[in-house]
Amino acid sequence: MSQAPLAPACAALLRRDLTLAWRRRGDIAMPVLYALIVVTLFPFALGPEDALLQRIAGGVVLVTVLLAMLLALDAMFRSDIEDGSLEQLVLAPQPLALMLGMKILAHWLTTALPLIVIAPLLAGMLHLPAAVMPVMLLALLLATPLLSLLGAILVALTAGTRRSGMLLALMLLPLCVPVVIFAAGAVAAAQQGLPWLAPIAWLGAALALALVLAPLACAAALRIALDA
Amino acid sequence: MANWIPLWLHKLGSPPIFYRFAGTLRPWALALALLLGAAALYGGLVLAPADYQQGDAYRIIFIHVPSAWMSLFVYGVMAVASFIALVWRIKLAEVVAMESAPIGAAFTFITLVTGSLWGKPMWGTWWTWDARLTSELVLLFLYLGVIGLYHSFEDRRQGARAAAFLAIIGIINVPIVHFSVNWWNTLHQGSTVRILGPSKMSGDMLWPLLTMMAATKFYYIASLFGRVRTDLLAMESGKDWVRQIAEEEAKS
Repeated sequence: MSQAPLAPACAALLRRDLTLAWRRRGDIAMPVLYALIVVTLFPFALGPEDALLQRIAGGVVLVTVLLAMLLALDAMFRSDIEDGSLEQLVLAPQPLALMLGMKILAHWLTTALPLIVIAPLLAGMLHLPAAVMPVMLLALLLATPLLSLLGAILVALTAGTRRSGMLLALMLLPLCVPVVIFAAGAVAAAQQGLPWLAPIAWLGAALALALVLAPLACAAALRIALDA
Repeated sequence: MANWIPLWLHKLGSPPIFYRFAGTLRPWALALALLLGAAALYGGLVLAPADYQQGDAYRIIFIHVPSAWMSLFVYGVMAVASFIALVWRIKLAEVVAMESAPIGAAFTFITLVTGSLWGKPMWGTWWTWDARLTSELVLLFLYLGVIGLYHSFEDRRQGARAAAFLAIIGIINVPIVHFSVNWWNTLHQGSTVRILGPSKMSGDMLWPLLTMMAATKFYYIASLFGRVRTDLLAMESGKDWVRQIAEEEAKS
């Protein structure tokens, strides 16, 4: 059997996942729509005062994006498990961690990126000052891949089980506490005119660590979950 | 020279031997736990003097603090057993890890409830987003995640391995959560209340606390051994040694 080189294999997998996502464009729109609905509900619940909304805007947008990502996380490997292509991936000669990294990248591109694109609109609806917007986008750009990577490990662990959306939320909560704290901390600091680089740097460090370790952990988790 | 220790440990890993070993030890551990617990409660609730500032309300620490210690200790045991289970695939380690989780979750829950009961008269609130309280709450979620994942698999051993992996991720996560929550709380400069530090504690308050700590340890051993024995019987129900035990039970 001739072994396909690594780079074309990665590109092929990425192209396949993106094509599949593009064929079902409606699914990409769902998390965005969900985030829009959640943010719309906050002023109704809390009252339309500008000052209050301005104060909570950063945190609300971050938590909303997190919840929207959690909604889509469940589907990361589902269709691949159903049609058996995930098992083929496990058997493939290419390193599983790298292949899963590509799948996580495709998932991030199709779920988190649209959310980041719409985040300024969400923040604007809650009157977040324009000056804070770049910091929020930077925090989101670092926090969402981190959540995708951490979430992928947990999704891989639940790969062999029945539908488990609630269980996924329960398992993800302890992992995403630090991410939310630092991302929201950066936005809050920028809003108060304080230096915001430190929490961003922590997020970046965590992302660098997760980029290396999470695909490996994801591969190990998948091997456990599929090992029947 | 002293190769009987590894040999003995190796033998102890076999389900029938551990079943008998745990069966012998369990009543002693339970008796010790009850005796020490009763002594510690008497010492803590009756003999120890009231605190000059908090009056009698501080006495809840004789339950609260040992439970908090146990909540972390049990998680440590669970993570070590999980590591052993994943690396060497020892069946007993899987069972120990999975049966530790509900006990640890119970200790964590007791810690949160007693802390909340103490917080109401002392801080004037049931709950505050203090760093340590938040870490303990996250610990409870970690336990619940492990238990939930274990039970969501059809195959118990597979579920145990997946949950063991989650437990190991969790133990990496605990210091990160603790650090980030500390950082978060100092940034926001919340309430200035602090958990009572037991550093300067008079002897007649300290000995019931330490006795209770020993009692909770023995209770954990007794409870764990009982659960593991039941689990081993269920898991090995097709094996010969289980049939022998069942036949002996049927005779008597």
